[in-house]
Amino acid sequence: MASPLPQVLLDGLFAGGTYALMAAGMALILGVVKVINLSHGAFFTLGAYVAYALAGRGVGTPLAAAPLAAVIGFAFGVFLGKSFVNPVRSHPFALPVGTLACALLFEQAAQMVWGPHPLSVAAGAPWIGPGGLVIRRWGVIAFLSSAALLGGLKWVLSSRPGLPLRLIAEDEEIAGSLGMDVEAIRYLTFGGACAMAAAAGALLSPSGAVTPTMGRAPLLLSLVVVIVAGMDSVAAIFLLSIGLGIFGNACAWFLSPQWSYVALLATVCLLLSARPAGIVALAGRRD
Amino acid sequence: MTKTSGSLFRHHPFLIGSVALFLYLFSSALLPAPCLAASLPDALKIGVLAPLSGPYAAGGTSFVQAATLAVEQVNSDGGVFGQPVTIVVGDTQGRVDVAKSEALRLVSREKVSALVGAYLSEETMGVMEVAAAQRIVLVVPVASTAEITDKVRREYTRYRYVFRVGYSIPQWAEMIAEFLSDRKIHRYAFVGAGIRWNLELGETLERIVAPRGITQVYTAYYSPGNPAFDTVAVAAATCSPDIVILADPGRNSVSFLKRLREAAPALPVLSIGGALGDARLAASIPLSAPIYVQAAAWRGVSLAATAYVERYEHRYGAPPVGYSDTLPYDAVTVLVAAWRKAGSAATEAVVPVLEHGTFAGAAGAYRFDAAHQALWGTGPGALHGTFVRWERGGARIVFPSR
Repeated sequence: MASPLPQVLLDGLFAGGTYALMAAGMALILGVVKVINLSHGAFFTLGAYVAYALAGRGVGTPLAAAPLAAVIGFAFGVFLGKSFVNPVRSHPFALPVGTLACALLFEQAAQMVWGPHPLSVAAGAPWIGPGGLVIRRWGVIAFLSSAALLGGLKWVLSSRPGLPLRLIAEDEEIAGSLGMDVEAIRYLTFGGACAMAAAAGALLSPSGAVTPTMGRAPLLLSLVVVIVAGMDSVAAIFLLSIGLGIFGNACAWFLSPQWSYVALLATVCLLLSARPAGIVALAGRRD
Repeated sequence: MTKTSGSLFRHHPFLIGSVALFLYLFSSALLPAPCLAASLPDALKIGVLAPLSGPYAAGGTSFVQAATLAVEQVNSDGGVFGQPVTIVVGDTQGRVDVAKSEALRLVSREKVSALVGAYLSEETMGVMEVAAAQRIVLVVPVASTAEITDKVRREYTRYRYVFRVGYSIPQWAEMIAEFLSDRKIHRYAFVGAGIRWNLELGETLERIVAPRGITQVYTAYYSPGNPAFDTVAVAAATCSPDIVILADPGRNSVSFLKRLREAAPALPVLSIGGALGDARLAASIPLSAPIYVQAAAWRGVSLAATAYVERYEHRYGAPPVGYSDTLPYDAVTVLVAAWRKAGSAATEAVVPVLEHGTFAGAAGAYRFDAAHQALWGTGPGALHGTFVRWERGGARIVFPSR
């Protein structure tokens, strides 16, 4: 390979894909249910453990594990949404604390079931592209899946089946007065977002180590992406994720690995101070 | 509206589930150790300090498991002075302040006779101060910063209660240098988590290998929060080293090795710090190039090492990683042997016995120098440690040759 820079940028693209994959579900919860779900990372971890358990039973590909992880994530998400999120939703401080407690409980449970030791799912050999460019399998999967998920989300929200979601996001009282079961739509949406996180965990399980606390970093990054991009534009979430992935890797390459996170978060702070409602939010739109 | 507790739980099945799960998890996770100590009032207690939560929980758990195994072995041999021995565990969380407060709790409230720990060098430096102030024996298994034993040398009267069974940074660097020479390595990359012992080891190793004609061609320390593996892996491969030394005791070593294997499948790796000594992890990493692991002891090195590995595997269902478990096991074994030789667990009686005695452990025979550092290295009479290479059927010892 002539210069490693294309490789660094390609890896940044894939890293951005992983942020976007997590951010898709987070955007749905924030946009429709309007809660900060700090247990989102726990569902990511759950999906990774499902992939690990299946790999131990001969189902080696995370693509096969993702549907099962999504089903399990959806079931737990609906249970959590119906039993906890909906009743507590009107108390703005109780919900983040409650969902954080759920995440910690899950981490403790995972540690008891699988132990604190890192586990691993085989990643498979990467593809070699032009000029010796290494194309990581899980990176391609993350990029394509995030594009498909966010594209699907955009389509749903802009089409007729997505009308109830849009209406609830805009004004719950009007949606309720039109006969919509707002409560049910909320917890089903919550479950769907949790399913997305679990599927993301399964798909990305080969990229690193599977541990009880592995969902914390994706949770933080996806939350940052959704808040900075604003919840109004799915395309902005995708593009910002990719941009931050490339930017983080470029900083690590040109400055130092230790500086990449600092530079990334500093940029996020600058963006938020310039556009507190998100980079694509339209001023006064809610009014 | 007033809700009774009955109606509250009827409308919130989540609460019932959460409360039940919470009680189950925390009753089974937290109660056994205190109960064990409380049920044996005449037992001799050893305070064990290790991170059971936080980023180094995996190493800390192995640490406690090995210490437990050592105590079980002692008790199956009749205990000490006819009394059983128990351990009381303090979770340091990988934090200096917590390690110090836990050490103080173990000494003042649990009345332990000696301390074993901690895990990170930073934590251990804090615990040293507690041991010095409380005048209690502290046996250090894995923390490797040279400053621990340097302090004993410089201020003997204050720190004479501190003994290290694990290798110090200079000893560790010497063993790695010998291995690199044996493998005919000329250029290496040093990559790891940006924690104290790594930074110190990277600098010391570079100095020690220079006279041997071995050059460090790339160095990178990533932050545990955002390791930026992709870029580090690409940059390390670009420098064309003969081997990458991966210094990370945590989960990030697995992620980094995967990235490196994708970026440079033919590049050998030497893992230090124990993480890749786990056979389950090694099975998921492509063996397109050698993966070496440095360990204190390994199955097949000696009868004692093999017996220890088999006991550990039988007890916990998986073999030890050879570092964060083996050294704590030996720390407890050495401490109890010193109690037996001294005929007492009193600090003033035990210190001279540790200073002048020889003690058998899984890694070999331990003797301490004037700075209370166990003799590790490449010379005669020293503990050598071992280097293994992962292969399809398991690990093979490659250095030192027996």
